[in-house]
Amino acid sequence: MQIQDLSQFGLSDEELFSRVDHNELDSEKIMAPRYSYWNSVFRVFFRKKINIALLTILALIMAFAYIYPLFAEYDKFGNLLDASAKHLSPAAAIKKYGFSIHWILGTGAAGQSTFDAIWFGSRISISLALICGAINLTVGVIMGAIWGFSKKIDIVMMEVYNILANVPYILIVSVLVMILTSSFWTLVLALTITGWLGIAYFIRTQVVIIRNREYNLASKCLGTPLIKIAMRNILPFMTSVIVTLAATEIPSYISMEVFLGYIGMGLSEMSLGRLIYEAQSAMVTPGWEFEFWSPVVIASIITVVLYVVGQNLADASDPRTHM
Amino acid sequence: MTKYLIKRILHGLLSIAVVVAIVMIIIYSLMDRNLIFKNDNTYSHLKNNSKEIYKYAKWEEYGYIDFVTYADYLLMLTNNGEIDEETRSSVVGIGRTADKDSENVKKYVEKFTEYYISKGYTVKRLDAVMMNAKKVAEGGQPQLFAYKNLSLLSRLWSYFSKIITIDSIHYAEDVKGERGITFTLFDPLYGGKKFSPAIIGNGTRHKYLLYFDSKFPFIHQNIITINLGTSYSVNQGIDVFETMNRPQGSYVKSLVTYPTGLQEESADDLHTATYVKGSLETSLVFKDRFTDDYTNVSTKKASLSKVGFSFVIGILASLLAYLVGVPLGIAMAKRKDKALDKIGTLYIVFIIAVPSLAYIFLFKAIGGKLGLPTTFDLESSKKVMYVLPIISLALPQIASLMKWIRRYMIDQMNLDYVKFARSGGLSEREIFTKHILKNASIPIVHGIPGTILFALTGAIITERVYVVPGAGNLLTEAIGQYDNGVIVGVTLFYALLTVVSIILGDVLITMVDPRISFTSKDR
Repeated sequence: MQIQDLSQFGLSDEELFSRVDHNELDSEKIMAPRYSYWNSVFRVFFRKKINIALLTILALIMAFAYIYPLFAEYDKFGNLLDASAKHLSPAAAIKKYGFSIHWILGTGAAGQSTFDAIWFGSRISISLALICGAINLTVGVIMGAIWGFSKKIDIVMMEVYNILANVPYILIVSVLVMILTSSFWTLVLALTITGWLGIAYFIRTQVVIIRNREYNLASKCLGTPLIKIAMRNILPFMTSVIVTLAATEIPSYISMEVFLGYIGMGLSEMSLGRLIYEAQSAMVTPGWEFEFWSPVVIASIITVVLYVVGQNLADASDPRTHM
Repeated sequence: MTKYLIKRILHGLLSIAVVVAIVMIIIYSLMDRNLIFKNDNTYSHLKNNSKEIYKYAKWEEYGYIDFVTYADYLLMLTNNGEIDEETRSSVVGIGRTADKDSENVKKYVEKFTEYYISKGYTVKRLDAVMMNAKKVAEGGQPQLFAYKNLSLLSRLWSYFSKIITIDSIHYAEDVKGERGITFTLFDPLYGGKKFSPAIIGNGTRHKYLLYFDSKFPFIHQNIITINLGTSYSVNQGIDVFETMNRPQGSYVKSLVTYPTGLQEESADDLHTATYVKGSLETSLVFKDRFTDDYTNVSTKKASLSKVGFSFVIGILASLLAYLVGVPLGIAMAKRKDKALDKIGTLYIVFIIAVPSLAYIFLFKAIGGKLGLPTTFDLESSKKVMYVLPIISLALPQIASLMKWIRRYMIDQMNLDYVKFARSGGLSEREIFTKHILKNASIPIVHGIPGTILFALTGAIITERVYVVPGAGNLLTEAIGQYDNGVIVGVTLFYALLTVVSIILGDVLITMVDPRISFTSKDR
């Protein structure tokens, strides 16, 4: 029979037979290799060189957002009275003040350093994203697990979800901002008060899918307590799902903050969203673009890095990739 | 299936009612009522008691409370015939303080207090604010009124009972001639000679209940009107439904023949005439033109409505997204892990991770460099100004379609039926188009009604960035101006769209995929 060109079927290599050589030594070993889940996760994660580069960028961003403000003196209205200090391009600012890291992105509407403003803003935005992410993921996963397990709660929660998902999100945020003040913790409350519902619903669906698998039924028949089934049988399955969720959720809070800032419902503090909101008019003015694009670009870099690192970590946390 | 659908629709309507109730609780109970006066110039200029009265009157307008002044009460008694005009004018003026009321006034004040307290109102009397012993300070006249917070249930009931109104011949209070409905084959507005059927009412709210004209959809009705709630600050006194749907832009004038025979270049659309009590007598302008009290007409305007703009942009963007996203997603799945797949994934990551604000501005900047108009102009008829908003709106849709099509296709590719088809000797192309694509498209088909319907709501950032006069910013605008009527109306509209699009999606997938059935019998 004629040997065909196998590539025409478009099959991956795993689906084709391949030759395995016999090894005398291997057959002598009977012990299974030592396996530690998290070790394998990080081994797989660091196998990709791009992850190391991304983590470096992430560390750099974190350092600038959290450590740099400790050393830099930043006063937004420090140069307010100096008319010649406003809306300077990087070159003009460096010419005026001499080269220093503060002026490499020029100055803003009040003569403040754009570079400093961005990092002070990033600190607030990143903190907001991390805190909201932590709260929403914790509450969402726990509630989602309970929701998925109990059929009675499922009926009630589905109704709650169908109704609350229809209340406009912006309305909740703006009403809370109006009742309280537009401070950091108000926005945390606004983003978490219904934010966990979406996560819980997602987790619920995942739990329902694996709840009735045969091995769980077997565990149940053998009298394993529910808690142990949840911890041992279901949670390990969910790890990569939860990490994937975290990877999409955490950057989304930064985007959300930027969005709310842009429509004027965001923080009163100097967050990235607020910076973009205030620099809006600068975008269309020739020569001033830097003060608009810098926070936009930094926000994008932060979100992209967080997202890609999270996705790759999620890939690595799937035991099927640990071979 | 019909029974199941009816059940779903009823269930959906119930959810909508609960959503509206929650929103009402949020805006009427949780929000600080004094916020509505933040940007109110009239309020900041008023002083003393008149400020207080203005506050309560505004609260009534915004739907917070039911508010009756002593004078209103006396007027009501007069209209009922309990007291005559003379008594009314003699007792309407109350004293500076309660002790200074005359005997007669005291009687009526007591009656007022008793009547409203028994109905659960709070009666409040403000004593006159004096500048000196004799002179009353500016706005310091004594006031007497009763108010009551509206309960959620009565608010809900009055809202939902007003949503759909059917015009009746008993609407108008006094009409010339006999109340009734006439059917004519020759619409008098076209000179009475051209064949154009119309139903004309006398005593109804709208004069023309059914008519034809040259505008899409050519046949129009005014029998059933939808009221989603009256606006107070966004578009004063106009219903939300009307705010969303009425044309914008400059007036379109044409030669109009008024009922009196007067001919004039005007933008008035006489088909929209509604009844305003006693209006004919109030103005000479009306007397010259109209023969009855149906004088309130809207005008013809050149551009689309808010929803119209949003829908045109939204639907074209969705069309573009399906035309580009679906083939790209299929191509990515076919060439998994090849160059195209990697570029596509990069694009998806970019759209998901980067704040939408950033890439919309990026595309605005790129589009501006290419010479495309970056702001929308209501008066311009140039089609090219639609390009950037449509592209900006399509970008995220393309990404999500690519992501899901690719995911579903790859999931299907590993299933046994595909291996079986392959072993049966089907070509890869046949397997893809006839088997995998059909199965993978079911979840995508489920989303189509939602995509079409939600094109109506517009997009917040896109419309802001390109200054599109669409419906997307209605909610944020209403929240910014504390316009409770609009907030409730828009929420109801959104909730309705969600419910309808999910039900339509379910119906659509049962039509596409015969294996899916929602009735328990078929299962």
